[in-house]
Amino acid sequence: MTPSLSLPSLDDLTRAERGVSLLLAAVIVFLVAAVAIGWIRAQYLLFLLSLGGMYLILSMGLNVQWGYTGLINFSVAAFFGLGAYGTALLTANSSPIAGGFNPIVGLVMGLLLAAVVAILIGIPTLQLRADYLAIASLGLAEVIRMIVLNEQQWTNGSRGVTGIPTFFEGWPVLGSLSDPFTIALADFGLVVVFILVVYLFLRRIHRSPWGRVQRTIRADEDLAEALGKNTYWFKMQSFVIGSVIMALAGVFYVHLNLYLGPGDLNPIRTFYVWVAVILGGSGSNRGAMFGGFTVIAILEGTRFLNGLQVIPFDIAPFRLLVIGILIILIMHLRPEGVLPPQKELIWPSAMGGESDE
Amino acid sequence: MSEAPAVTDGPVLDKPDPVLRTEGLQKAFGGLLATDDVSLAVERGSITGLIGPNGAGKSTLFNLISGFYQPDDGQVWVNGVDVTGSDPHEIAHEGLVRTFQTPRKLEGMSVREAMLVGPQGQTGESIVPLFTAPDTVREEERDALEQVQTMLERFEIDHLAHTPATELSGGQLKLVELARGMMAEPDVLLLDEPVAGVNPTLANKLAGFIRELNEEGIAFLIIEHDMGFIMDLADPIIVLDQGSVLVEGTPEAVRRDDRVLDAYLGGGGA
Repeated sequence: MTPSLSLPSLDDLTRAERGVSLLLAAVIVFLVAAVAIGWIRAQYLLFLLSLGGMYLILSMGLNVQWGYTGLINFSVAAFFGLGAYGTALLTANSSPIAGGFNPIVGLVMGLLLAAVVAILIGIPTLQLRADYLAIASLGLAEVIRMIVLNEQQWTNGSRGVTGIPTFFEGWPVLGSLSDPFTIALADFGLVVVFILVVYLFLRRIHRSPWGRVQRTIRADEDLAEALGKNTYWFKMQSFVIGSVIMALAGVFYVHLNLYLGPGDLNPIRTFYVWVAVILGGSGSNRGAMFGGFTVIAILEGTRFLNGLQVIPFDIAPFRLLVIGILIILIMHLRPEGVLPPQKELIWPSAMGGESDE
Repeated sequence: MSEAPAVTDGPVLDKPDPVLRTEGLQKAFGGLLATDDVSLAVERGSITGLIGPNGAGKSTLFNLISGFYQPDDGQVWVNGVDVTGSDPHEIAHEGLVRTFQTPRKLEGMSVREAMLVGPQGQTGESIVPLFTAPDTVREEERDALEQVQTMLERFEIDHLAHTPATELSGGQLKLVELARGMMAEPDVLLLDEPVAGVNPTLANKLAGFIRELNEEGIAFLIIEHDMGFIMDLADPIIVLDQGSVLVEGTPEAVRRDDRVLDAYLGGGGA
């Protein structure tokens, strides 16, 4: 193995971090320039950035399950979909169940729905070896997609749900916005808030005794049990928290896109999120966010290049190829991901003077 | 009582204050009976050796006692509490902690981080107090860090505190395992081959540490194939053969016992 698999040295870290920061800065400069020149409309750019933010949230959710605890969950798209359908069916005026609720109600119910399903799946599978959760989650993803597609009386089936309000419907000032650009700006602000809340929450629970037990379970579940940790309970917490974060991404997506169909639950989304987490560095929140950003950049960037017609053929179909090559490169050059976890999971303020080393 | 023979046929069960007791433990895998009928008692504060030829059922017995296997029949008590059928973490809470035959490497963790997993019932292991009582978490964490430092110094591996657990040698891992087990403050520690693959110098050191900890009141039940090591360290020795206790006695007596010799020389079914 490469030497950098060990706790990385300071030089190594700053290099990776410097590289990532430079890259992000370059992208921002490029995007601002693109807007200034008129290559891309500011409103569309905001939409793309919001979409990217949604992937950041999804990646952080999976990072809790896989990165912290080592749980293999192949139903990212399903938990995303539970949040999305949960809020869409409560708020949309085309909802066959009970539309017209405030999006805040939709948010709460969407997250609750995901939590309940996560518990129901977790009860039988988390007591068993890791493989069983993987198998069950693979099935769950298809089951939920099939229910959405076929139970038209509840979900509108393949017609999808339309007439979804923005997230700010009914709010004092933001609710009465009608200018598309301002709404896009508000949506972007919303996803930034969501990301911050999730990130700060995760940072605190990760660098704590709780996160340490999760890391122990990932490394060796039997050992954690032998040391008196109720691994079933810890895995359940990780699974539910991760799933609820995924559902939050779904809730945001619905009120951004204002349309939701069964196609949004396609398994490819699960695949993208897995790529994002592995690419960014399993177990690291910042890594997951960087991975999510990269994946959406590839997905949407290729579409953007098509629009510019600088390349004389349709490159969108090559997206998966690009992602595939990226995975192979990462596995060869940096198997621990671009921004792997670097910290000892010790409550920071307890380490006194040495916390900043 | 005081005139107890040096070797008894089968286990000695009427010990004054057993920290661990089993009765009639049985476990079969398919048609294979791994342990047939194991009854034994480990006296509080003792170092008890568990030996026996390969396939005698020693590791299975450890797994049955520590809750990793569910027995088909029989019972286990820790500190007088019936823990039969309990999960390993529940048994750990009753005061019994075990180590594993192959040391477990904790990927991505430093030595001191791995050590910090040991203490039981940490407030910070629940999510809510991380937000509502961060000060309590900080105090506990600070105390635990100090305790880790003391423990590492005691085991003379404090220079490894920041080393990734994956970079330790086999012997160092065994030391960390023992030290981490101590962090859980058990009444009885089960060690599965603590000196397998460990060089003689380190093995001697390890024996010294075990003795020292034992003098502070911790009981040990130790599986070991290194006869020199275990005979020197433990008293009494329990000999397991074909899934049940063959004899129990002092090291000297067990060493000279014909039945033990037969068992080791493959007398087995003969």
